[in-house]
Amino acid sequence: MNKDGIISQTLEKTMLTRRSFLKWSGVLGGTVALTGGVGLGFKVLDKAVAEEVKEGKWIPAPCWLDCGSKGFNKAYVVDGVIVRMGTDETVPESPDCPPLRSCGKGRASRNSYLNPTRLKYPMKRKNWEPGGGKKELRGKDEWVRISWDEALDIVSSELMRVRDAYGQASIYSCRPGTYLGRFLDLFGGFLQGWGAYSGGTWREPGKFNGFPASFNDRIDLRKTQLFVLWGSNPAWSRAGLPTYYYTQYKKAGAKFIFVDPLYNATAQVLADEWVPVRPATDHALILGMAHTLLVEDDPATNPLIDWDFLNRCTIGFDKDHMPEGADPKENFVDYVLGTYDGEPKTAEWAAEICGTPPEKIRALAREIAMTEHVVIAMSTSPSRVHNADSWPPVVMTFGAMTGHLGKSGSCVAQDGGHKTISNGGQALIRGGSSRSFNHPFQRAEPIGNALSGGGMGGASLDIIPLEKDGIPHTILGNVQSWPAVLEGKYQAAKDDIRPLNVQLMYHGHESKLTNCVGVMKGIEAHRKVEFVVTQNVWFNPDAQYSDVVLPVTSRWERYGDLAEGFREQLLWTHQLMEPWFEAKDDIWIARELGVRCGLDPKVIEPWSLKQEIFNQVADARVMNEDGETMEPLVTITNKDIQEFGVEGEPQQGRIPIKEFQEKGIYHVPRKEGDNYGSVALRAFRKDPENSPVKSASGKLEIHCQSYADYIKHRGWSEIRPIPTYNPPVEGYEDTFADWKNKVKGEYPLQKFDLHVARRTHSNYDNTPWLRETYPREVYMNSIDAAERGIKDGDTVLIRSRHGKVLRIVTVTDRIIPGAIAIGWGSWIDIDEETGIDMGGATNTLSGAIATGQEAKGYNSCNVQVEKWTGAPLLPDHLKPPKVPLKDENL
Amino acid sequence: MSTQLGFYFNSDNCVSCRTCVIACKDKNDNPLGVNFRRVISYEGGTWLPHPTVKGVMLPSNIFVYSVSVACMHCVKPICVEVCPTGAMTKHDNGIVAVNQDKCIGCRLCQQSCPYGAPQFNEVKGVMSKCDLCQDLIANGEKPACVASCPQRALDYGELSELRNKYGEGNSIEPLPDPSLTWPAVVINPHRQAQPPGQGTGRIVAEV
Repeated sequence: MNKDGIISQTLEKTMLTRRSFLKWSGVLGGTVALTGGVGLGFKVLDKAVAEEVKEGKWIPAPCWLDCGSKGFNKAYVVDGVIVRMGTDETVPESPDCPPLRSCGKGRASRNSYLNPTRLKYPMKRKNWEPGGGKKELRGKDEWVRISWDEALDIVSSELMRVRDAYGQASIYSCRPGTYLGRFLDLFGGFLQGWGAYSGGTWREPGKFNGFPASFNDRIDLRKTQLFVLWGSNPAWSRAGLPTYYYTQYKKAGAKFIFVDPLYNATAQVLADEWVPVRPATDHALILGMAHTLLVEDDPATNPLIDWDFLNRCTIGFDKDHMPEGADPKENFVDYVLGTYDGEPKTAEWAAEICGTPPEKIRALAREIAMTEHVVIAMSTSPSRVHNADSWPPVVMTFGAMTGHLGKSGSCVAQDGGHKTISNGGQALIRGGSSRSFNHPFQRAEPIGNALSGGGMGGASLDIIPLEKDGIPHTILGNVQSWPAVLEGKYQAAKDDIRPLNVQLMYHGHESKLTNCVGVMKGIEAHRKVEFVVTQNVWFNPDAQYSDVVLPVTSRWERYGDLAEGFREQLLWTHQLMEPWFEAKDDIWIARELGVRCGLDPKVIEPWSLKQEIFNQVADARVMNEDGETMEPLVTITNKDIQEFGVEGEPQQGRIPIKEFQEKGIYHVPRKEGDNYGSVALRAFRKDPENSPVKSASGKLEIHCQSYADYIKHRGWSEIRPIPTYNPPVEGYEDTFADWKNKVKGEYPLQKFDLHVARRTHSNYDNTPWLRETYPREVYMNSIDAAERGIKDGDTVLIRSRHGKVLRIVTVTDRIIPGAIAIGWGSWIDIDEETGIDMGGATNTLSGAIATGQEAKGYNSCNVQVEKWTGAPLLPDHLKPPKVPLKDENL
Repeated sequence: MSTQLGFYFNSDNCVSCRTCVIACKDKNDNPLGVNFRRVISYEGGTWLPHPTVKGVMLPSNIFVYSVSVACMHCVKPICVEVCPTGAMTKHDNGIVAVNQDKCIGCRLCQQSCPYGAPQFNEVKGVMSKCDLCQDLIANGEKPACVASCPQRALDYGELSELRNKYGEGNSIEPLPDPSLTWPAVVINPHRQAQPPGQGTGRIVAEV
């Protein structure tokens, strides 16, 4: 009966049969047992044994995967062995103050940190020599275990040799991380990376047009009648509370409309309606909606447009409200109506581009305009598109015209920030202070990178002067990283091409090869320079293509971690295990390199991590009930200071420090009607003169010359001061050889990247439990699949102008025809003979194409897909793990 | 006086995040190939050409929902009936569990269960299955899956109490006909759920 049982069918569809599993487990040998959850002491703890063992202890466990959400994890430790994971149970279930439950990745943490692909020993490449040796073998060479002394000697001597031969800017570390960054700063500076990864084109415009794109407080949003979630899938990409809050609103009667190429997992639970849209065409859709409202609006009989807000609080919407000196023809209304270009941006005009039925475009526009309390919430994914610099401004314009800015129950917001999704407002609890230097956004005595003007990496080039005290500033835009390394030049600004001679790459705090567009060029770049070094927890692609690899500890193996949750939680997590084999802390490595380079390690690490964490905890502040003043979170006694073994002062706070340490999380208590509410732009709407936004005019600048000037200054492309649609490079239009007659070209489909539940960016890609639980990566429409003879579960070759990958496909009707969604962050795995990326990384397909403000255009990428006629791919969890050293002593 | 413990699952809240699958795997230290809890997604609908606008397609009745399944701790457990050694038993509290010391790994239970609950553990050479985390609940804790769900879509308890609290539903497509083994489960259907045996969609391998 059960062979045909539904559950077995599903198991067999998505995993290999048990017979195949047995064969592979033979090949993997002891690895299978390891991934079954063995503690560091290689003891297997099953239920029967557990009953005999003494009681364990729950220890709050760090998770720092940078997903933009937050979950609370804890580990049950018995006799030094981590037995299982758990989550927040410090507060009872309530809608007002729910526990901060973790996600599947948190639950799989053991399988990630007790894992054969973790780096155990320092290693060098067999065919490396100072200067590079056989550089062409990077990525496919053999590995030799070396001592820490030898490894650090090599790295420090190469750093000094390369710096002396080619200058500070020859050392490229896109994102080194805090401690390695301090070492490199002290070393005299280095070439740092610049530009948004997550933020897309939301990064810059708000600084010019004044639009903060913030959420209101989540309790305020209980008033909201309509949520439009645009390119938003928090159920997977920001797991945990954001979707749970949305679910509460849904159960209370709010309506949800999803605008997305994919009917995603969040839509599955929340959607009342799905408005399908082609990737990279969202701007056209909004213009179609704006046109609908402009032609149908009648302030007397059919008021659809908030003229009062537009007139008082914005400039540039129509010809009567232009900034001084601007061409009166250059206004948004006349652009949309086609007054001067003869092309009215009707719903039909939009439909041809975005694929959304025109009646749906009109209906959506009317519904947003006619509903009193509306939230338009988006991820930054519609902005991770080439030439999308005017997308955030058109979102702002649409929000302004539909009356949803600055009102209780309404907001227009993007969730590129990590704390604010579905819950905006000032943080109610803050960890860290000026006494800490490891807290993001605040640092004591920063050393500063001389090459980037002393500021933190990532600041806008318009803010940092390009030269100071005669030292030209050198900072490399992320999109142009690989072409710049290969060509020996980069574009600093319009008509400002500068020489560049990168000869050393140091991968510290990011998975550069995975996360940076143009993987095939990235590999070329790695084989060009004289030295590549990676320090990481796992043997990831950066490590694979390096000369020297340094194993680092995870945060499970060091003192602790303090992290803010959303605006309402603070998490203090602790060490769970001893360092893995010979892995060392990033901090230790930075100090040791410093010593070898003649630098003072005390400047690199002024005080111990324990002291640092203690400082941050001591300085944590929590909002009082009045909603205005803050108090210290923890009370510290002299006895506490002694027992912690740190320096400090006693203080009075809300809870004892030991209680916070044990629980690991503090929730700010919330309730309906509390003083913690927040409505974005409320004061501005009420009185724009006295509460202006941060633009030059103090109003929201729909016509924004300064932003257009900034984009022009970057030198890649131009935009108009009003938010017009700019067909993206490799957008929908570029899938055609002949747009007018709609004849498709060589790359007829549109690829976009999907944040999947399996990973956070590239993190945990190699975790076997996650590979097994999330075996598929690709959604393809059934019509597109049928045209190509592709069936569900087939291996397919996906090709772009920049590379080619293999993946197993899921054929579905949940995606708009013409689009293909691929899970983002999988590790590259290039077959050297065919040049095919067997790991299926999305950045093998995405090109290193710089436009506008140099946002990464992951979601504007044209591809072709065909059924693969070679050997089918194994599901990822059955691929043998990449373990660099053959002589395992497990 | 015996009770019947069982699970509650709310398909209307489930986002197929599969946190429950991994929480269970973690708690039970299961090897690859053994998952006491699994999530299956069921989708339907199609695309039709727009009647008047060339090049535009219309989504037609597109739906998807997910079902999280572990062991149903059935009232009439067929796995217990077929077990030749008496290793598989139904406890007084309704939990169906396998005694791995008695199990000989013949896999008859696996072949009989409509829900795929008993699974062969290659490492141990015997059957293994969800036991409602009986060690945890004896200690006053919740089963690992129930405690883990970020959408609060899982609960457990005495079946009659679950029915009072959540309703009487116990199956949706693509789950089997409940009259086969009388699963001790309450399922709140997804708003687009279809009745068992009357589905118009298909199981889809979830990304």
